[in-house]
Amino acid sequence: MLLAAMPGGSAAGEKAAPKDAAAQAPGAAAAKAEKPAAEKPAAAKAEKPAAKTPAGPAPRVPDDKNQCITCHSSPDFAELQAELEKEGKKDRLRLAVITSALAADVHWQKGLRCQDCHGGDPTAEDFAPAHTGHGGLRSLKHADIPAFCGECHADTDYMRRYLPSPRTDQLAEYWTSGHGQKLKASGDDTAVATCISCHDKPHGSGLKPQPHGIRAVADLESPVYRTRLADTCAKCHSDEKLMKDRTYHNRPLGHHQNESWRQSVHGKALLEKGDLSAPTCNHCHGNHGALPPQVDSVANACGTCHGRAAKLFADTKMKHGFEQSKLPGCVTCHATRVDAGPPDSHLIRVPTDELLGMEQGAVCNECHNEQQPKHGVAGAKEAKALREGLDDLKAGIDYAREILDEADHLGMEVSKPRFDLRKATDALTNARVQIHSFDPVPVQKILDEGQGVLSDVQAAADKALREHDARRVWLGLTLVPILVVVVVLVLYIRTLPVAKPVST
Amino acid sequence: MRGPFAEWIGRVKSFFADRLGLEDLQKLADKKRVPIHRTSLFYFLGGMALFLFGIQVVTGVLLSLYYKPSPDQAFESVRAIMTEVEYGWLIRSVHSWSANLLIGVLALHLLTTYVMRAYRKPREFTWLTGVLLLAMFMAFGFSGYLLPWNQLAFFATKVGTAIVGAVPLVGKHFLLLARSGENVTGDTLARFYSLHVVILPLATFAVLGVHLYLVQKHGMSIPQGVVERFGGEDKVPSMPFVPHFLLRDMVGWYVALGLLAALAALFPWELGEKATPLGAPPPGIQPEWYFLFMFETLKQLPGRFFGFGWLEGEVVGVLFFGVCWLVVLLVPFLDPRAVQGHPRRLLNWLATWAVFAFILQTASGLGAIRLKLLASSLVQLGLLDPDPTILDSYRWLALVEAALWSAAATIAFRFGVRKWTVRESMQ
Amino acid sequence: MAEVPESLARRTWLLTGLQASIGATVVAIFYPVIRFLWPRPATRSGAMEVVATFRVNELKADGEQWPARFTLDFDGKPCTVIRTPGGEIKAFNAVCTHTDCTVEYRPDKGDIFCNCHNGLYDLNGRNVSGPPPRPLELYKVTLRKQKETDPPGQEEIVISRSA
Repeated sequence: MLLAAMPGGSAAGEKAAPKDAAAQAPGAAAAKAEKPAAEKPAAAKAEKPAAKTPAGPAPRVPDDKNQCITCHSSPDFAELQAELEKEGKKDRLRLAVITSALAADVHWQKGLRCQDCHGGDPTAEDFAPAHTGHGGLRSLKHADIPAFCGECHADTDYMRRYLPSPRTDQLAEYWTSGHGQKLKASGDDTAVATCISCHDKPHGSGLKPQPHGIRAVADLESPVYRTRLADTCAKCHSDEKLMKDRTYHNRPLGHHQNESWRQSVHGKALLEKGDLSAPTCNHCHGNHGALPPQVDSVANACGTCHGRAAKLFADTKMKHGFEQSKLPGCVTCHATRVDAGPPDSHLIRVPTDELLGMEQGAVCNECHNEQQPKHGVAGAKEAKALREGLDDLKAGIDYAREILDEADHLGMEVSKPRFDLRKATDALTNARVQIHSFDPVPVQKILDEGQGVLSDVQAAADKALREHDARRVWLGLTLVPILVVVVVLVLYIRTLPVAKPVST
Repeated sequence: MRGPFAEWIGRVKSFFADRLGLEDLQKLADKKRVPIHRTSLFYFLGGMALFLFGIQVVTGVLLSLYYKPSPDQAFESVRAIMTEVEYGWLIRSVHSWSANLLIGVLALHLLTTYVMRAYRKPREFTWLTGVLLLAMFMAFGFSGYLLPWNQLAFFATKVGTAIVGAVPLVGKHFLLLARSGENVTGDTLARFYSLHVVILPLATFAVLGVHLYLVQKHGMSIPQGVVERFGGEDKVPSMPFVPHFLLRDMVGWYVALGLLAALAALFPWELGEKATPLGAPPPGIQPEWYFLFMFETLKQLPGRFFGFGWLEGEVVGVLFFGVCWLVVLLVPFLDPRAVQGHPRRLLNWLATWAVFAFILQTASGLGAIRLKLLASSLVQLGLLDPDPTILDSYRWLALVEAALWSAAATIAFRFGVRKWTVRESMQ
Repeated sequence: MAEVPESLARRTWLLTGLQASIGATVVAIFYPVIRFLWPRPATRSGAMEVVATFRVNELKADGEQWPARFTLDFDGKPCTVIRTPGGEIKAFNAVCTHTDCTVEYRPDKGDIFCNCHNGLYDLNGRNVSGPPPRPLELYKVTLRKQKETDPPGQEEIVISRSA
C-alpha cells in the first residue's frame, strides 16, 4: 500500500496531500529533514543509540508492524506502477521500495531496517510522527554517504556485535583517497565515488528498481568481487564524459585504464585463465584509499607479488636513476607504449626476452642510445650480450625437448633427461628474474648452469637415439643367420629324393 | 653320416628311446605323408599357424613375467617392458605382430580348407574344432588388446563389449559377464587377463589337441578332383612328412621369424597414452583390423529400420553376424554331397561374396577406401539432401554400396576368372 | 635333382651347415630371451617408491640451498626432501600450484617459498599466502636402516605415494 494510494482519504491522507506535493521534488523526503539535517552532527549523535539495533538478527519492530514497510514497499511492482500511472503520480515511484530487493542486502539480513538508516519512527501510523519521530529523517545526500556509513563501520564497538575482529579503518582510508579528497574539496560533486557507488545501494526505488542490495565483498554477486571489480571502477573511469577535465597532480585521469588492463598480462590472467590471484584495480591502487601509486611506490606495488625482481631492482643504480628522472619503476620497461607515447602503465604486457637488448621492440635502447650519451651506451651492449645468452639457453631447451620427444616416440626411455631438463627451464626463469639486477655477472652464472644441464640432457638424448640405432644393428645381425638357414634349407631340400608327381 | 659325433647322437637317442617308447612315435612320424598336387601349398598354412601360436605362447609367457594386471600398474609395466627391460621391446612387438599375422594365417587356412573342401566326411569335426579355434583366437586378440590399458585399448573394449550387449535377451548378461560389471574397470582387466593367460590357453590346448589328433588320424585331405585323376587316394604321389615336408615347413617358419624380427625392430608396437576412463574417448576409436568388417557394418546400419521402428540396427547386425558364424560352422553339413563331388554353387557364390565384402569393409574401416559413391550419386541426382545430418541417417547406403561392389566382384570373379580358380580340384 | 653319390656327400655337408646355422639362430633367439629374463634395477617406471641418494644425516642447510641438492625425481616430477626445524623428514612435490615454478624450502623461516610470485606454503604443504590456489602434494617418507647395527642418522630415505 503506497502513500499516494492510501484509501479512505483519512486524516493521514489529507495531511499527506500538501506534504506529498512538497515531497514530489527529488530528494524532497530528505529536504523535509533538511532542518534536522542542518543540525545533523548533533542530531546524528543523538540518534546513534536509536538508529542502531542491539545485537541479534531479530528486528526490533516486527516487519508486519513496521509502518515504513507498510507504506513504502510494494511487493508487486507492476501493480504499483499501474496504480500510480492511473492517478497520474508516476514520479511517486521514487518513494517506493521493492522489498524483494532488500532480501539480498547484508544489512537487511543482519536485522537492520528502514529506520536504522533513514531515521523516523516505524511504529507511527501517521505521516508526521512517522517522519519526524526519533530525531526525524536523516540526510542521505551523496556527500553525506561516507560519514553516514562510517557511523557504524568506523565504530569498532558497534561492529564487534556482528564480526569478531572487524576492520574499521575504511572511512579514514577513504578520506585519503582520490575520491575522498575530491568529495571534501567539492562538497557536492555527485560524480565522485562514495561507498554505495562501489558496494551498491541497499535498494532501488520504484523509478530505478535494480534490486541489488549491498553484498559482502566475498559474495560472487558483489560489484567488488574480484572478477568484477574492474568493471565497477570502469563504470566511471571508462566514461569519457565523466572523466573529462578531471586531473590528478595535474595529469588528466583519462578513461582508458580498464580497456588497457583487460589486455594486459594481469587482466588476461584474471579474466581468461581464472587466476584469482592476478591483480585488479584495488591491488595496486588500494581499496578505500584508492590513489595511483606514485613514482617511487610503483615498484613497491609490483613488489608485493614480484618480490624477488623488485628487491633486485631496488639495489640497482637504475632505480636511483629512474627516480631522478621521475620515471616510475617497473612500468617504464614493462608497460606497452602506445604509438611512441609514454608507457601505458595499465597495459603491462607479457614479459618476453624481446624486452631485453638492442633490437626493435627492446626497451633498453630507448634511453641507452647514441642520441642520449648521458645514459651511457655500455649498458646497452651488456644488455645485448645478456639477451643473446637468454636466447641461446631458450633455443637449447627447445632443441633438447625436440630430440627427447623423438627419442620418446621411438620408444626409448628418456624420463631422466626430461626431468633434468626442468632444471634448465628453472635456470632460464632464474636468469630472467636476475636480469633485474642489471648486473651481467650473476645472470651469466645462471645461464652457464643452465647450459651445463642442457649439455647433459643432450648427451643422454643422443645416447637414447644411438640405442635405437643399435636395435637396427641387432636386426641385421639376426637376419643373417636366419637367411643362411633359409638358403641352406632350400639347398638341402633340393638334395632330398622326392617322388615326382606323375605328369598329367 | 657316421663318425664319433654321430655315434654319440645315436647312443643318446637310444637311451631315451628305450625308456620312453619313442619308437611308436617314430613309426607314426614315418607313416605320415603329404600328398603333392597343385594346391599342396595350402598345406603349409596349418603348420604356420601352429608355429605362430607357439611364438605367442613363448613371448606371452615372457611378457607375463613383467606385466602387472592392475589399472594403475598395467600401462607402466608395459612401458617398462618397452623401454627398460632388455629386449623387452622385441618380445612385446613380436607378440603383437605375431598375433596379427596369426589371425591372417588362420583366415587363409579357413579359406583354403573351404576351397579344397577338406571338411568332407570324415573330417567334419576337424572343421568344427577349427572354426571354434578361430573364434578362440579372436577372443585371444580381443582380451589381449585390453591389457596395455591405454586409451585405444580401453575405449575399443568399451565399444566392443557394448556391441555384445546388443544381442537380444542374453546380450545384457553377456555384457555384464564380459565386463565383470556395468563398466570397463579394473575388474574387467583382471577378467580379461585371466581369460587371455589361463582360460583361453587351456581351452585352446584342449581343442587344438583334438584338432591335431584328428588331422593325424585322418591324414591330409586330398581334393576330390585329384583323387579321381589319380584313381584313388593311395595312388596320389606324396612326400614323407619327415623330413621332406617338415623341412619345407621350417623354411616358412624361418621366413616368418625373420619377418617378425624386422617388424619388431622397424615398426615397434605403439605404447599409446595411459587410459583415462573418465575422459572422452579419443576420436577414431576402432578395434583391431580383424574385427573391423563387423564394426564397420554395425556402424553403417541405421539406428532403426524404416517401417520397422522396433528393430534396432545394432541388433540386426549382431544377429546377422551370429547367423554368418553359424553358417561357417555348419558348412560341412550344408555341403553334404561334397564326397560325391557335387558342386556347391550357392555356397561358393556366398563364400566369394563374403570374402569380397570382408575385404571391402575392412578397407573401409581402415580408411583405405570410402564407400561414398552411391550416396554422392544420389545427391547429385537430387534424390538426397546433401545436409550432413540427413546424410548420416542414410549411412546404410555405404553398406548397400559395399554389398553391390562385392556382388560385382563376385560375378567378375566367378565368371570371368573361372579358369584360374582351383575349379578342377574342387569340381 | 640328380640321384648320384655326389649328392649324398653334398647333402651331408649341407646338413652339417644346416645344423650349425640353426644352432646360430637358436643362440640368436636365446640371447635376447636370457637378457630379457634377467631382472634389472628398478627404475622410475612402475616404481611406486624411490630411494633418495642422500641419507638422513646429509639433510642440512649448508651452502647449497634447497631445492637443488635435495630434489629427486618421483614419478617424473621434482620432489624435495626436507628436515623441518622440528626434526621431521618430509617430502613434497616441488612444483608450485600457481604457475609451475619450482619452490624452495627456507629452513631459517620454516616455510616453503615460491620465488615467482611470492607464494608461501607451510611445512604441511598448505598454501598459506600468495597466489597458489592449492596445497603441495605431500609424499610418504619411510626411514629404512640398511643394517640393524647402523647408527641413527644413516637411514635411507624411501619416498612413496601416501595412499
